[in-house]
Amino acid sequence: MTAALAPFAAQADHVSLTAQTRIIAAALAILFMVWILDLIRRDRLQERYSVVWFVAGLAMLAGAAFPGLLKLVADVMGVRDTNVALFSIVLLLLLGLALNFSVIMSRQAAQITRLAQERAIERAREQAAREELEKRVGGEGEGSVRE
Amino acid sequence: MRTLVFIPAWNEEASVDAVIADVRTHLPEADILVVDDGSADSTTERAQAAGVLVATLPFNQGLGAALQTGYLYALRQGYDFCAHLDADGQHPASEVARLLTEVREDRADLVIGSRYAAQPEPLPGAEPEGEDYEATWSRRIGINVFRFILTLATRQRFTDTTSGMRAANRRVMKLFSENYSPDFAEIESLQLAVREGLRVEEVPVRMLERTGGSSFLTPLRSAFFIFKGLVVILVGLFKPRHAEAE
Repeated sequence: MTAALAPFAAQADHVSLTAQTRIIAAALAILFMVWILDLIRRDRLQERYSVVWFVAGLAMLAGAAFPGLLKLVADVMGVRDTNVALFSIVLLLLLGLALNFSVIMSRQAAQITRLAQERAIERAREQAAREELEKRVGGEGEGSVRE
Repeated sequence: MRTLVFIPAWNEEASVDAVIADVRTHLPEADILVVDDGSADSTTERAQAAGVLVATLPFNQGLGAALQTGYLYALRQGYDFCAHLDADGQHPASEVARLLTEVREDRADLVIGSRYAAQPEPLPGAEPEGEDYEATWSRRIGINVFRFILTLATRQRFTDTTSGMRAANRRVMKLFSENYSPDFAEIESLQLAVREGLRVEEVPVRMLERTGGSSFLTPLRSAFFIFKGLVVILVGLFKPRHAEAE
């Protein structure tokens, strides 16, 4: 595995990434993933919404460890400058994520609305039942009717 | 044959009493439900004191969601027909009765009260009191744009696309309690009903100038409103058909 990836790591010079940049990027990626883990651990982030962020963190780490991968991707995209390829990919990824959140938000908004409606209808039914009961007991049981 | 008249209300404590009284006078056979859309004032208390049932949404959800609550309630409680009118006093109950007649006699599934169709003679003894409704110029532009687009989209002529005075039967209740856009209730629901093959009809009605409060529409908002409406109608053209309502 590592041996197979070695040529990609060796191409660091071609993609104009200094050792310093790579170390910083790798450190950031690891920090990022630790942060995600911590958020899950403290119940601030649900697992099902964390997967995509983990993938992003891993991709960042991979890019830092094997700059040749970036070059490969840039070549596939037909972009001469690897930086442009990198920025395009990140931009598209963020765009996709934002859209994904809008979809999730819409679904939840619909669920919240329905929940509110069910509650409102329940209140009206409660009122109807209470008034019916009050009518039937004719005032004498007034105290016991109220909850 | 049971009928429910529901009144969506958001902060309408000043007028909700009068509207309830008006509905009682002209539609004595109907049950009344006020849907309080998360009012901050005493709308719920006023309506309950007036002796009608109130469905109170725990927070403001917009007119579409409030109307859908009414349709859902009517459907679940087994009403045969339902109608709704605004809580601000613009819609005379005597005119709502006119709409209900259309659905009761099965001439249509959904009936819209139109301000802009030719004015009818008032029903005997039911002349609505108050000043007739007159649209402002900015509103008239919007109205005409929607009228044109919706007529194109549905191939049916509508004059009053945003009217909040409607009557419906159970087929419509079923459709609207499942599919009702919270953002653009009036227009999209018309498009939806026509596309689902329901008979939608407009009946000319008189509406009055609002007794209190002011319209929420400023020119900028109107422009945004129109833009949003156009997008909704356009997208609506490509939505898949739902299963037959009945």
